Amino acid sequence: MSSWDDDDESASASASAATTDVELLKRAWRNEKAAPEVLRFDKDLVDRVREQIQLLEETLDDFADSGVDDLVVSLYQMDLDRTLFLLRSYLRLRLQKIEKYTMHISRSQDLKDRLSEQEQKFAKSCGEIMEKHLKQSVLSKLPYGYGDEFVTKQSLSSTEDDMTLVIEILHICMNCGPENGLYSLPTISSEHPDLICLFRHSVPEPQLDTFVFCKTKSDVGAFQLDDIGEEVVDLVADDLYVLRYKSIKGLVEGGRIDLI
Amino acid sequence: MYGRRASQLVREIDSSEAGQLAPFNSDIFDQVIRECNEHNAQFQSLIRKMVEQNLDIETTRNEDHYGAAIHHLSLLRNKRCLMAYMYNRAEVIQSFRWKIGPVLPHDIQEKLHFSEKEYFKNHSAAIKSYISEMDIDLTVDMVPPKDPYIQVRVLEDIGEVSLGDHSVSLTKNSLHFLRRTDAEQFISQGLMEEFLE
Repeated sequence: MSSWDDDDESASASASAATTDVELLKRAWRNEKAAPEVLRFDKDLVDRVREQIQLLEETLDDFADSGVDDLVVSLYQMDLDRTLFLLRSYLRLRLQKIEKYTMHISRSQDLKDRLSEQEQKFAKSCGEIMEKHLKQSVLSKLPYGYGDEFVTKQSLSSTEDDMTLVIEILHICMNCGPENGLYSLPTISSEHPDLICLFRHSVPEPQLDTFVFCKTKSDVGAFQLDDIGEEVVDLVADDLYVLRYKSIKGLVEGGRIDLI
Repeated sequence: MYGRRASQLVREIDSSEAGQLAPFNSDIFDQVIRECNEHNAQFQSLIRKMVEQNLDIETTRNEDHYGAAIHHLSLLRNKRCLMAYMYNRAEVIQSFRWKIGPVLPHDIQEKLHFSEKEYFKNHSAAIKSYISEMDIDLTVDMVPPKDPYIQVRVLEDIGEVSLGDHSVSLTKNSLHFLRRTDAEQFISQGLMEEFLE
């Protein structure tokens, strides 16, 4: 039985240690690393960690002046380096997700709100730079009417619906009449709202139904994994699960479950 | 066959190893652009023909109608392939900023389209402005630190460099014991390598 007691002790010890900011950052970093989409930016936490880093740096400078034992200095240095790595890696992971899903993020206010002020600025310039690049290299070289936004953001699905779709497009082309002597595709407008629905989006999106490893922090109880309530799992505290990210998204956001 | 060249571009992306970049295929790229213009010319002439024949466009389903539709679809497909080609290359190119640094070596530069060079420059600038706003360098510390100090070998003459409170003369092939954070910038530029015994 003693081994069980040991486990309990170490579990409670790690639970109390998890309250330091560095531990919290480690948790945020782990969640960010495992989640397919960008999570909410914890500004207060990052600010606190940066303050602590600065304090540690000052302490190290003092050590250097007062000639403290090299071993002690290098231990402090190691601690500092690790925290710095964690912070840098956390910010980097987020930037790389923003790079990848720029267009997807720009379409949703909820996703935009998850970013820090500086990240929002970064996302905006990423979008502009990519747009400029694609316009310059591809769109400007296509025939009149094919290089505009309309077909940039949406693209045809490759199903048999294509024929009916084309027929519809042709009708609109005819009705609009030639512009500058050329027939062109209709541009997006309120006149043809149903047309927009016929196009499938070709913007890269994070795969939210991917599986993630996660660990519960406390008892969640019976948890519904799908919309219809066919799959219910009992989430017990401190247990490991492999679940679809999509179904536990809310728990991750609420901090009730950790991704690992 | 319509669309074959464009699919070649996409296949090229698909078959290249993750994170690797093949030279920009300007030959096929230009051919696809020409094909697009050809499709458009055909599309225009077919529609003009139908209009001249005074056909009721709402209901007419003759060969010209389907011909125009095929040219239109082929053009859209080509466009989608071109965009996918450019977009996927751009993703690899932006990953170079993290893996290599703000200056790309000559052999990579040669593989890029002029617009891609510009893209890399602009994208690096966006990262740089984020870094300066946050006041934390994100381009160092790419791997978790094990030891605060590492042994390095200098690959090219760097000269006198001041690191922290002292200056070091970094001549080619010399060995140094440096703070990892100091050494990393030189390692990423290819001027130094970690010396492992």
